[in-house]
Amino acid sequence: MTQNLLIPLSDLQPGDQGEVVQVKAQGPIRQRLLEMGFIRGVRLRVEKLAPLGDPMELVIKGYHLSLRRDESSCILVHRVA
Amino acid sequence: MSLTIALAGNPNCGKTTLFNALTGARHHVGNWPGVTVERRSGTFEQEGSTLEVVDLPGTYSLAARSEDERVAAKFLASPEVDLVLNVLDASNLERNLYLSTQLLELGKPVAFVLNMVDDAENRGVHIDLAALETLLGGPVIPTVGNREQGIPELKALLAAMARGETSRCRRITVDYGHDIEGELAKLETEIGRDEQLEASMPPRWLALQLLENNADAKRLVTESHASEAIGQQLTKSFAFLEPHLGADGATLIAERRYGFAHGLVKEVASAADDRRTPTSRLDAVLTNRWLGIPIFVGILALVYSLSFILGKIPQDWIAEGFKALSGFAEARLPAGELTSLLVDGVIPGVSAVIVFVPVIMILMGCIAFLEDTGYMARAAFIMDRLMHVMGLHGKSFIPLIMGSGCNVPAIQAARTIESPQDRLITILVTPLVSCSARLQVYIVIAGTFFTPFKAALAIIGMHFLGLGLAVLMGRMLRSALFHGPSSPFVMELPPYRLPVLRATAIHMWEKGSIFLTRAGTTIFAGATLIWFLSRYPGIANREWTAQYQDQRLAVQALKLPATETEDRLKALQLAHESHIVNTSLAARLGQKASPLLQPILDPDHKRPEAWKDVIALTAGFVAKEIVVSTMAVIHQASDEPKVGERLSPLQVALRDNSGLSPLTALAFMVFTLIYTPCLGTIAMIRREAGSWGWAGFTVAYGLVLGWGLAWVTVVAGRWMGFV
Repeated sequence: MTQNLLIPLSDLQPGDQGEVVQVKAQGPIRQRLLEMGFIRGVRLRVEKLAPLGDPMELVIKGYHLSLRRDESSCILVHRVA
Repeated sequence: MSLTIALAGNPNCGKTTLFNALTGARHHVGNWPGVTVERRSGTFEQEGSTLEVVDLPGTYSLAARSEDERVAAKFLASPEVDLVLNVLDASNLERNLYLSTQLLELGKPVAFVLNMVDDAENRGVHIDLAALETLLGGPVIPTVGNREQGIPELKALLAAMARGETSRCRRITVDYGHDIEGELAKLETEIGRDEQLEASMPPRWLALQLLENNADAKRLVTESHASEAIGQQLTKSFAFLEPHLGADGATLIAERRYGFAHGLVKEVASAADDRRTPTSRLDAVLTNRWLGIPIFVGILALVYSLSFILGKIPQDWIAEGFKALSGFAEARLPAGELTSLLVDGVIPGVSAVIVFVPVIMILMGCIAFLEDTGYMARAAFIMDRLMHVMGLHGKSFIPLIMGSGCNVPAIQAARTIESPQDRLITILVTPLVSCSARLQVYIVIAGTFFTPFKAALAIIGMHFLGLGLAVLMGRMLRSALFHGPSSPFVMELPPYRLPVLRATAIHMWEKGSIFLTRAGTTIFAGATLIWFLSRYPGIANREWTAQYQDQRLAVQALKLPATETEDRLKALQLAHESHIVNTSLAARLGQKASPLLQPILDPDHKRPEAWKDVIALTAGFVAKEIVVSTMAVIHQASDEPKVGERLSPLQVALRDNSGLSPLTALAFMVFTLIYTPCLGTIAMIRREAGSWGWAGFTVAYGLVLGWGLAWVTVVAGRWMGFV
C-alpha cells in the first residue's frame, strides 16, 4: 500500500494530488493553515512551482494558494492517484 | 436614525469595490488606533436613515493572530457595531464561509452579500439563494460589485434593518458535535461567574477562542476574577477532548467549521465545471517557469517608466512653476528677511512637497491596478524565493525597486505587504536604495573627479551598493528585531479580475491627499527650519542688504548690454547669498561638526573648507538634490554649465578649490547615499511605520552606517594606493 505512505506536501510534484492527514506546524502558522482549509481528509492538487523552484502553487477547496517549502514540509499528506 | 455597519469578508472578495459602491465618494481614510492598518469609513443615506459603513481589513478569520485580524475582531466585538455585513465571494464560497461561521458566533445581526455572482455563473456554479438564506439565518443579497448590480437592493435592505426589521435574521450557530458542545457549555458556565467578562463578548465565542488556544482570549481571561476556575475547566476540557477525538482544540474546531461550510455549499450550490478557467490559462503564461520572470521584469519596467519618466513631466512643470513664482517674488519684493523667507523658505518648501504628488499618484495607481487585477500576488509568487533569501517577502520586491525612482512612494507601496514584520523591515531598508535625487549629486561629484567612464562605473556602483546594503540590513534587522522564523508565506492567488477604474482613481486620489496632509506638514516644517539655519543671522544684517542693493544699482547704472548686466547681477546675488550662508548658524554648526566627518572627508587634515560639505549635507536633509544647489551657493559658483563646456562652474570650483580628492569624493558619494533619508521619506516612514521612533531609528542607523562605509572607502582606498 504505497498509496498510504505519509509524505510531506513539499514532496508532491506538479500535477500530483494528495489528501491532508496532519498539520505538524505549531503556533500561529498552524492556525493559519487550518483556517485556509488544511484539515484532515481534504483533497488538494499541486499546480506548479514558482520559476525559481519555491514557493509552490496548489489548489485546495477550489481556490489557488501558494506556500513556501518551509510551510509545505510541515503538512503530511497521502498521495492520491 | 443611524446605524453602524461593519463590512467584513475575506481578502479579494470585492469588499472595497462594494464599499465604494455603497458610500460613493463620501468616505474618510485613516488608521485604526495604534496600528498602521488602514481604516475606511463612509456614510450613505437611504429612506431617511443615515448609515455608516466601516470597511474592515480583509481577513480569513477572526483568530486575532495578525494585526488585521485583531483590528477586525476587536471592532466587531465592540458595541459600536450594530450590524455585520459579510461579503462572500460566490465563486469561492466554502472558504469564505469559514469567516461567516465566526461572525455568526458574535451574536450580532449578520446580513450577507453574495458578491461576484457573475464569476460563479461563468464557472457553472448556480447558488440557491433561498436555501442559503435559510441555512445562514440572515438575508442574502446577490451583487456584482464592480457593475453596481444589486446595490439598490442592498441599500434598501440595510435601511430596513436600520428601522429594526430583522425578521429575516435567525440565530444560527455551527454545531460542534456532542463532545465539544459539552465542553463549551461547561466553559460558558465558568465564564458566567464573571458578569463583566460575560458582558464583554458572547460567552460561547470566548469559550470557542479558549478551546482554540487563542492568546488574546487567554489574556482577557487572566484579568478576570474567575480566571482560575476558567483555567481549570480549560485544562480539563483539553484533557478530555484530545485523546477522545484525536486532535487538539484548534484542529477540531476548524474541522467542524469547515464541515458546516462544506455541507452548506453542497446544499445550495452546484459543482463547478472542471474546465480550465481564464485565470489558469493566464497563469500558464504569467507564472510560467520560463516566461514568468521576463514578463514580470517587463511589467516592472513599464510601471517604472510610467511613474518616473512620465511622472517627471508634471513634476518638472511644478518645479519650474514654483521656481518662476519665487523668481517673480524676488524680482518684485525688496531684499530682506521676509522676502528670503518667502523665496528661499516657503515657496521651495511647498514645492518640495507638491513635486512628489504626481509620482505618488501614478505609482500608487499602477500598484492598485496590479493588485486589483490579482497580478500582485503572482509577482510575489515569482520573486519570493529571491526575497526569502534576503529575509524578506516576495511583495517587498516592488517597493525596493521603485525606491530607485523615489523612496517616498516606495515606502507607501509597502502597504501591499500583509505581514507587519515584513512590512516594517521593507520600510526601514528602502531608504538605502539610491533614488533619482541622489543621482544628481553623484553626477556632479563623479563628473568632477572621474573620467566619464569611471564616473559611470562609480554611479552604477552606488546603486548596487544601495541595493546590497538594503538586503544586508534586511537580514540584520530581521534577526535583531524579530526572533524566531520569518512570518509564514501562505498567500492566496486570487482569480484575475478586471479592475474598476473608478476604484483605482479613488485610490490614487486618497494616496495623494494623505501624502499632502500627513507628510506635507512635516516636509514643510523641516524645509523652513533648514532655511532658518542657513540664512540667520546674515539675512537680518541690514548693512549687508544695503550694500548688496547699492552694488546692484551700480551695475544697473553701467548700462551694459542686457545679457552682461544679467550675468553680473547673478554673480552679485550668488556672492550675497554665499556671504549669508557661509556665516549662518548652519555654517557654525558645520565648523563645529566637521571634526566628526574629518576621517572620511578630510583624512589628511588638508582641507580648510571641509565644513562647507557639512552645510551641503545638512541641507540635503530636506531633499538630496538640494545638496547640489547648496554647494553652488556655498562655493559661489553656478551649477549650470556654460555653453560648450563639460564642467559647470561649480564643478570647476570643487575640483580646484574644495580640496576633495577622487578618493574623498567617492567617500562623499557613499556618505550621500546612506547618511539619511530625505524629509519626505522620513515623514513617510513615520506615517507608515506608525511612530517617530522608527523614523528616528532610520536616520540614526543611516548616519552610523554611512559614516562607517565612507570611512572604509577611504581606508581601503588608501591601502590600495589611491588618493
